[in-house]
Amino acid sequence: MIRVTRRYDFSAAHVLARPDWPLQRNQHVYGKCANPAGHGHNYRIEVAIEGEPDRVTGRVLPEEHLDEVVRGRVLGNLDGRFLNRDVDAFHEAVPTAENIARFIWDTLAGHVAPARLVGVRLVETRNNSVEYDGTEEFA
Amino acid sequence: MDFSASHRDASGATTGHNYELEVTISGRVDPETGMVIDLKDLKEVMEREIDARFDHRSLSDDTPYFRDRPVTPETFAALIFSLLDAALPKGMLHRIRLSPTDRLTVEVTR
Repeated sequence: MIRVTRRYDFSAAHVLARPDWPLQRNQHVYGKCANPAGHGHNYRIEVAIEGEPDRVTGRVLPEEHLDEVVRGRVLGNLDGRFLNRDVDAFHEAVPTAENIARFIWDTLAGHVAPARLVGVRLVETRNNSVEYDGTEEFA
Repeated sequence: MDFSASHRDASGATTGHNYELEVTISGRVDPETGMVIDLKDLKEVMEREIDARFDHRSLSDDTPYFRDRPVTPETFAALIFSLLDAALPKGMLHRIRLSPTDRLTVEVTR
């Protein structure tokens, strides 16, 4: 079994705030990230897949295939956007790094056959990153 | 360790990379030395098995393993794992990570 990890970048703006909470409560929970004007990050995504290399091509999944899926389904929806406003999934879910990682997982899982998605790592800043392997249920 | 090698791609064109290789070993800490392995010995194995074989070579032309299979990060990583596994004390090799570019890493774990 071989694991292949490929890296992608995108930039996006977000606000960490629940629309159903007053500003004061959001600021209490999310701190300056709740500033309604929003702020942005240069995000890095690391997508890890596993599988057996194809006998003929020697690849777990053609690189172009993975790039096309990630660009089309993930980067195309997130890059250059204001996540809370522009992405349906974040109208209700707060676009925390955790929820963005889960969004990426949900968007990619099932589209990398014959390989298997085994991990999504989202690097938000040099100090913060989250990893999701699809096994934990979100509350 | 880092090394550079060339190979032919699917279209037959020659291309090359600066490969970055990360080797992880696992085992009991020797009570006398306090080490799992003497890093000098690990380095010597890596230099002999990997660097001497592949650095500044053509993987497609100079490596019999690739006569009948394409050179890809996956096949190359699998070859490196088996070469190191055979040269190191039994069962000690835990994982290798091979990065042909800073956007791609291929990992083989025991």
